[in-house]
Amino acid sequence: MGVIGYGIGVIGAGLGIGIAAYGATTSMARQPEVQGRLFTVFILASAFVEALALIGFVVSLLG
Amino acid sequence: MEEFDKLPAKVNELVNSFISEPIIGTDRFGITQYSLAMFIAVAILVIILLIFRKKQAASIVPKGRFVNGVEYVIEFARKDLVQDMLGSTWRKHFPFIATIFFFILINNLMGLIPGFHPGTGTMGVTFALALISFIYFIYVGVKKDGGMGYLMSLKPKGVPFPMNWLVWVIEIFSTFLRLITLAVRLFCNMFAGHIVMGTFAILASLFIERFAQGVTLEAFTGAGISLLWLLVLIAIYAVEMLVAAIQAYVFSLLSAVYIQLAEEDE
Repeated sequence: MGVIGYGIGVIGAGLGIGIAAYGATTSMARQPEVQGRLFTVFILASAFVEALALIGFVVSLLG
Repeated sequence: MEEFDKLPAKVNELVNSFISEPIIGTDRFGITQYSLAMFIAVAILVIILLIFRKKQAASIVPKGRFVNGVEYVIEFARKDLVQDMLGSTWRKHFPFIATIFFFILINNLMGLIPGFHPGTGTMGVTFALALISFIYFIYVGVKKDGGMGYLMSLKPKGVPFPMNWLVWVIEIFSTFLRLITLAVRLFCNMFAGHIVMGTFAILASLFIERFAQGVTLEAFTGAGISLLWLLVLIAIYAVEMLVAAIQAYVFSLLSAVYIQLAEEDE
């Protein structure tokens, strides 16, 4: 049961990282000169979104 | 395809091999396979850096692939990780962040060796790293504003009365959550990577076992399927190499960001 709950929870995080990657790639295409800075911001943003999925993982292990 | 029936047992065996077992000493106080691997990784890192120092001092202009390669990584850690994030005070925090970055990087890369259990593959080491980082940025914040000052600096400015205390409580909660997320992110990424690589290696080995019953047509189809799994394994191995570097980068980048948040002026 916990695994299924984790799967449902990860949908949100997956969408979030997907949207972040979408934004990063489109803005890199528009403005290639800020690529390095954008990459850092993208990694940071996806790390924060990922944290939610990780909390789900911990909770599914605990429960 | 009776090979797939054998898979769950083999995967269980694989997962069981990830449980830490003391090699030297007892359960309470001893060296597990993880900490042994960690010591080996650190020894290799120290040797690499000592050779680097000696070679670098030999000539003013960096010569050769080795010196240039190590310099590139250090330059990357200095420019992208520390200078861009921390601004004027980068020099103070560079040794700490670079140490964390190189420690995680060498451990993650050692984990790509089949059968090797690197330090970052266990919760204990990643949690210890996260705790060090946590204490460091709390220390930086407390040193700047004082104990109460740091606690109060988490309260947002320019937010009306009842909301700012609510946000303050959430901020404190999320500060402690950083400790867990830092540790679990690194651990989960490495652990999941090891399990996936191991599973595909098991699949490749199961199908090649048909040769044990004799050289038949079935055995050759088994070899073909095994080759297919091997190709998937190589692709996943390449992704894991990327993940190893990215996770070291993410951990040290987040440490830098937390230090910057603790240090910034309101």
